[in-house]
Amino acid sequence: MDLSYLFYLSSGLFLGWSLGANDAANIFGTAVGSRMVKFTPIAVIAAVFVVLGAVFGGAGASETLGSLGAVNALAGSFMVALSAALAVYLVLRMGVTVSTSQAIVGAIVGWNFYAGKPTDLGVLSEIVATWGFCPLISGVTAIILYLGLKKLLKCMNLHLLTQDQLTRCSLIITAAVGAYALGANNIANVVGVFVESCPFKPLKIGSLLTLNPEQVLFLLGSLAVGVGILTYSKKVIMTIGNNLMKMSPMIALIVVLSQAIVLLLFSSVSLHDFLEKNSLPALPLVPVSSTQAVIGAILGIGLVKGGRGINWNIVRKIVCGWVMAPIVALSLCFICLFFLENVFNMTVYLPG
Amino acid sequence: MFNIKLSVFSATRELEQKIDAMHDKIIECSMYFKEAIDTFLKEKRSQNYRRISKKIKNIERQADDLRREIESSLYIHNLIPDLRADVLQMIENIDKVINEFDEVAHKFYIEQPDIPVQYQAKFKKLIGEVSECAENMAISSRAFFRDFATVRDYAKKVYFLEHESDKTWASLKQDVFDSDMELAHKIQLNTLIGDVADIADRAEDCIDAVLIFTIKRDI
Repeated sequence: MDLSYLFYLSSGLFLGWSLGANDAANIFGTAVGSRMVKFTPIAVIAAVFVVLGAVFGGAGASETLGSLGAVNALAGSFMVALSAALAVYLVLRMGVTVSTSQAIVGAIVGWNFYAGKPTDLGVLSEIVATWGFCPLISGVTAIILYLGLKKLLKCMNLHLLTQDQLTRCSLIITAAVGAYALGANNIANVVGVFVESCPFKPLKIGSLLTLNPEQVLFLLGSLAVGVGILTYSKKVIMTIGNNLMKMSPMIALIVVLSQAIVLLLFSSVSLHDFLEKNSLPALPLVPVSSTQAVIGAILGIGLVKGGRGINWNIVRKIVCGWVMAPIVALSLCFICLFFLENVFNMTVYLPG
Repeated sequence: MFNIKLSVFSATRELEQKIDAMHDKIIECSMYFKEAIDTFLKEKRSQNYRRISKKIKNIERQADDLRREIESSLYIHNLIPDLRADVLQMIENIDKVINEFDEVAHKFYIEQPDIPVQYQAKFKKLIGEVSECAENMAISSRAFFRDFATVRDYAKKVYFLEHESDKTWASLKQDVFDSDMELAHKIQLNTLIGDVADIADRAEDCIDAVLIFTIKRDI
């Protein structure tokens, strides 16, 4: 394998690291913030499950992203990932929550523009539609879970302390499921643009498991996500906290579960095939934003509770970020590709 | 790790029992208090009264121990971090009500007030209302831990009984000051009646807090 590949891949790995640092807050932020669970054990669990999700469930969403724009030159992939990472960074600096998924889509469209390749409008509209559907489905799921859990708790009459212990265990399990879903769905954001130029050979682990080249790439990307979770997510959790709405551990559990369900719905190939086989409307396999899913879930619960306690100012900022992230990434990618090709004389796309 | 988890679960079970025991103490204390005052009205500071008064003192000590154990357990095992402060306040409130029962019973023992026969019926009524108020407070507070939908039902009862005890207290106070007793005697009875009525007020304060905590507890 050419070592330069690893250099180019570094932008994707950086994106993975920042994704891990940011999105871990969605998975177990409240659990740690409310001191229900200690950071280190839950972060280790989340890091392991992110890797498992990416390696064994990451193919579906990555394929859709590939059909939006098959970035076919390494330097191009590098710049697409880098400009997405930079867009996330810049928009975050403005104090607006941002989605890596939207940034990467914006960057890919930017590459398409620059390379003169047609953007599949069908796929693009499908992806853009999911940006609206994702929080909507997440909100509805959260409402159903909230009402169901409320009824269940009323029937079970658990002692407060027993309920506390069960909530703790559930938070850990949900964090694992949420991390698996995050890995499966969002690995496409991290290294999806490198799939076309993937130079890896199949990797044999023991006698039972062989990872194909794409899975080896996902393994690398997810390790970066894992490192992001372990090294920087605590800081993010402690800084950001629950600024959208104050959450109890039980609400946090519902929010993470809804997010995990939505992310799995948008990344599970088997579920997609099952729905299509039975002539049911199948959701596209697209990387969606875990932050948006979380926001959808929180808003859903907030609305059921009568809309009190929601910080609408932050909601406005978030919606603003949804528009800004892809536009900033697209523009950045276009400009940077120009420089890379004309100043550094590198091949950023292959004709044909 | 498995062992640690199991020990946390057993600690939880143990703590649940201690919280239940704390609520039992208030009901026990209230029943002995009623019995103590009945005995006092019949026999004054008799051996019998001394025995019942000691029982109340013992309950008060046990409640103190339970409160300390509950407090340290909650912190050592890092249980209910989001509601810990509320639960601790509830336990302390319960302990304060028990302390008041003990203090009033002890005051009767020390001061040996002379309660004229014509006021004893009203006085017994006041004692009954105050005790029932405290018992309902305990039921309501216990419900917070398991069946918080019923907290309100018993809270209503507490409010009603506290209001009734206030009325009885005011009427008894008026009777005392309208009487021909010496001023010192009137003041002594007035203070004692006030102390008894304070128990219901304390129970009402506890319920106010429990209702707020219930809103927080609801998911």
